[in-house]
Amino acid sequence: MIHETDDLGFEAPAPLGHPGRSGLPAGQPTGPEIGDKLPDFELPDQHGHRIRLHDHRGRSKAAIVFYRSVVW
Amino acid sequence: MSYDDVGAISAFAKAHDVSYPLLSDVDSAVIRQYGLLNTQVEPGDVPLYGIPFPGSYVVDEDGVVVAKFFHDSYKKRDSPDNLIDAALGRISLQPEEPRAEGGDETVRVSATLHGGGGVLKQGAMRSVVVRFDLPPGLHVYAEPVPEGMVATSVTVEGVDGIRTGAPVLPPTEPLQLPGVDAELRVWSGTVDIAVPVWPTAPLLSEMQEITEPTTTLDVTVRYQACDDRTCLLPRTEKFSLEARLEPVDLPDLPLHPGSGQRVTKMGSGTQLRRLVIRKLLRTNPLDLLRSVRKQRRLNRAASARAQESAGPDARG
Repeated sequence: MIHETDDLGFEAPAPLGHPGRSGLPAGQPTGPEIGDKLPDFELPDQHGHRIRLHDHRGRSKAAIVFYRSVVW
Repeated sequence: MSYDDVGAISAFAKAHDVSYPLLSDVDSAVIRQYGLLNTQVEPGDVPLYGIPFPGSYVVDEDGVVVAKFFHDSYKKRDSPDNLIDAALGRISLQPEEPRAEGGDETVRVSATLHGGGGVLKQGAMRSVVVRFDLPPGLHVYAEPVPEGMVATSVTVEGVDGIRTGAPVLPPTEPLQLPGVDAELRVWSGTVDIAVPVWPTAPLLSEMQEITEPTTTLDVTVRYQACDDRTCLLPRTEKFSLEARLEPVDLPDLPLHPGSGQRVTKMGSGTQLRRLVIRKLLRTNPLDLLRSVRKQRRLNRAASARAQESAGPDARG
């Protein structure tokens, strides 16, 4: 098993440059900016219920986390 | 939100007792809508194609973004506390977090390892929060200051593998003093300076066992408190914070043999097979071939680096 440590100090079971180790390139835009209304969407949750972002939060503050995968 | 199907997020939620909604964006439609499709992954990279640039948004009552967190490595993860602090607009220190107190009867100073209960995990973003409690009338200075005055500074040091970021400073107030040309920037009242801290290898790595239960962070604070007429003596204070080290949760796949880390019980193998099949069905065979070649090339380059670093005298 190849594992290497990158410049940022992280070790992973994949060679450097492997797409599974991809980070955020410098200067890469990262979607909505501070001050923007977050675009609405509808997706199923872990129970299969459809969740519409702004309806679901009502008048609550919220955190939305984009994550690679729960599988690997 | 991830590109996993409902079966996978459901298995994960059960294995880890997740009560908040996990969202399944199987075709990465929302990931694309947000402009977050990870462009470092190519269409033939099965099953990875479709993942986002990982990051978080915090919105207010109106759904307007008040903070966002994106990092240069996918292994960096914000503490839930960072997201809560951003939503509340202030740093909420927790009683269980490692803390050291200093200062004197006039100015109280403390250092706290904030986030995740003050426990360090590979890539988990915590912060050392230095809090000044200044009585009314007193202030401390932000950079830059004229010759002879002391700007407030905080440095955090630790063993090899402890990384720190630029201090996050609260907004300053302007101050004009008679006889001083420049306008000064100052802080008063309760002042929090937060230095981002996260552990990497060799201290913490998903590829190796944790050998020490704790590590020490050395915090140095320099400041001078003044009122509009006189100053107290400049002070340098040192704090030591003892942080517990914790393993990360890994998928139950044969990727991290003997790492001694915590392995999930969600049945990642079954989920991965389903993910691979789902992705394969949507992938152009030519893209797939290109990706297989790329991975061989990357493996060869890694082997060459390993041989080079082993040196000409290495045996075996």
